[in-house]
Amino acid sequence: MNPFPKFKFEKREDVSPVGRILAIIFALIASMLVSAILISIARASVSEAFINLIKGAFGNKRAILETLVKSTPLILTGLATVIAFRGKIWNIGQEGQLFLGAIGGYWAYRTFAGLPAIPLISIIVLAGFIAGALGGLLAGFLKAYFKVDEIISTVMGNYIIEYFLSFLLSGAGPWREPGSYYQQTAPITENAYFPLLFEKSRMHMGFLIALACTLVVYLILNHTPLGYQIRAYGSNPRASKFKGININKIFIVTMLISGGLAGLAGAGELFGVQYRLRPDLSPGYGYTGIIVAMLADLNPIAVIPAAILFGALTNGSAQMRIATGVPTALISAIQAIVLLFLLSAQVLSRYRIRRVEHCD
Amino acid sequence: MISLLQATIIINILASTVRIATPLLLGALGELVSERAGVMNLGIEGTMLMSSFVAFLVSFKTNSLILAVGAAILTGATMSLIMAFMAATMKVDQTVTGLSLNLLASGLSLFWYRVAFKETFSGSIPTVHTMGTARIPILGDIPYLGQILFNQSLLTYLAILMVPVIAFVLYRTQMGLSIRSLGENPRAVDMKGINVTRLQYLSVIFGGVMSGLAGAFITIGTTVRFLPEITAGRGWLALVIVIAGNWRTGRILLAALLFAFLDAFQLQLQGIGIQIPFQILLAAPYILAILVMMGSRARSLSPRHLGMPYVREEG
Repeated sequence: MNPFPKFKFEKREDVSPVGRILAIIFALIASMLVSAILISIARASVSEAFINLIKGAFGNKRAILETLVKSTPLILTGLATVIAFRGKIWNIGQEGQLFLGAIGGYWAYRTFAGLPAIPLISIIVLAGFIAGALGGLLAGFLKAYFKVDEIISTVMGNYIIEYFLSFLLSGAGPWREPGSYYQQTAPITENAYFPLLFEKSRMHMGFLIALACTLVVYLILNHTPLGYQIRAYGSNPRASKFKGININKIFIVTMLISGGLAGLAGAGELFGVQYRLRPDLSPGYGYTGIIVAMLADLNPIAVIPAAILFGALTNGSAQMRIATGVPTALISAIQAIVLLFLLSAQVLSRYRIRRVEHCD
Repeated sequence: MISLLQATIIINILASTVRIATPLLLGALGELVSERAGVMNLGIEGTMLMSSFVAFLVSFKTNSLILAVGAAILTGATMSLIMAFMAATMKVDQTVTGLSLNLLASGLSLFWYRVAFKETFSGSIPTVHTMGTARIPILGDIPYLGQILFNQSLLTYLAILMVPVIAFVLYRTQMGLSIRSLGENPRAVDMKGINVTRLQYLSVIFGGVMSGLAGAFITIGTTVRFLPEITAGRGWLALVIVIAGNWRTGRILLAALLFAFLDAFQLQLQGIGIQIPFQILLAAPYILAILVMMGSRARSLSPRHLGMPYVREEG
């Protein structure tokens, strides 16, 4: 399972899987303790808040399905992070690329509105992927040919896309629902709805797309030359240069796939859940995807349980707020705390390897 | 009459430029010191956001601007202490640590805001008094220039004052030399018997304090209320400004003024009611940031050991 190439850091393989899992468990337990403190600060009962959080997430079949609805975009943005971060390509633009996917999907919906459901939905999915991919591609291109740090370009991209969407939905923009007070498009028609997987739930085919993408990312990373090159570059950028790997190509292709995956998340939220384009389409699924990927130790298969965990927190937090008054923003804070604890815990399990890595 | 109107508009834009540059400059100067010491703190957006919230909260609860600024400084120091601990002690990847600080601030500031103002929500939106401007006696009376430069917030004067101060410390003192060496060759610093970890902590925390002041300026310096994500990318722009300024204080000042000018200019355009969608104007600084990054390919003064943890060699 260990993905790291053999030519440089064999020592990495010494990190036992047990150590990694222990680090994750430690991070989760420590974060629960911090959550308890924050809940107390909010003057609510800790046990009641936790019970309602869990009930809201897994209390009945409906709650479980809704948890999966919430984890669907997280699987995709998590995968978008995995494929990029594996190559130490720091795509932080998942949030913007998600919105690009929704914008692209909505554009396709308007352009091909007359088509029957199956071709229309196929085009929407494709357009969502392409739009997100173009966002990633641009950042990859800027990095490859202009040495623009991808962190900066993708973060700036997030802001630019946010304003672009705000323009599209503004009174002066082309997509505003006529006569609406809010920044939103008119609802989409039913022939563009992503098919639902279960009766009386919002779980839509996006979940299957997310599962399929997990498999694809796993295969790309582990069984293709591209995946090998991404991993090689990620574990030692300098060595890859000498090995004749075309680094610019890796930046561009990786960012393209990463952006496309985030774009699929946006199309799914628009055509599977919300049915109209609004600025609040995503409550930060792009950023949460980064944490999901880190929690999954950048392993594509492990993204699924990590996404379900965070999907459950998001889903359960609504009931927690209603029952105990604890603001749902608790979950965003906790996600970041999980990440901080995880980083420290991972170091403890990897310390010796880190040393070797950074002596040059 | 027209020329008088034009003069007023120009003075307005330039005065706003200096005001808007304040948090960018504070953040960028702090980041400069941190990066010179080899630590890439990507968490300044979050540090600013958290500090801006705490400043707002303390100002609301105590009605004291001094306490609020003090609390913002403490918050900045605490946030960057996490960064320093992760980077200098744990030697964790600095990129991911910085990002997690930003996520932490987004979530925690919103959570805390909702908790602290739960009761107030039913009524009106909570507001505070702002610091306002402090006109410098004689200089403030200079025509034009007085209005632009000497009728600003105290934090603005501080930000501008910090440009020569930081330049002096970095280039004319023993400690500054050590800090700069840390970013280039930490082993050499270590071999001179200087405590590398301690100096990195100091530099990063200094950066955090500066971000804290920037955060304070964003809320209690200029705005009466707090909004989620009120920093709106200014921490990230500060990072861009450090790169655009090629890690030198004077150029950082120029870069900060350039970004601020663009923002001031678009504010003025909005005010006049020009027929450009205002969202495009709002996005202008971020577009400029990418263009600046494309243009600044020669980063001769980028610390060579930036972002890499230093681990002592063992025999």
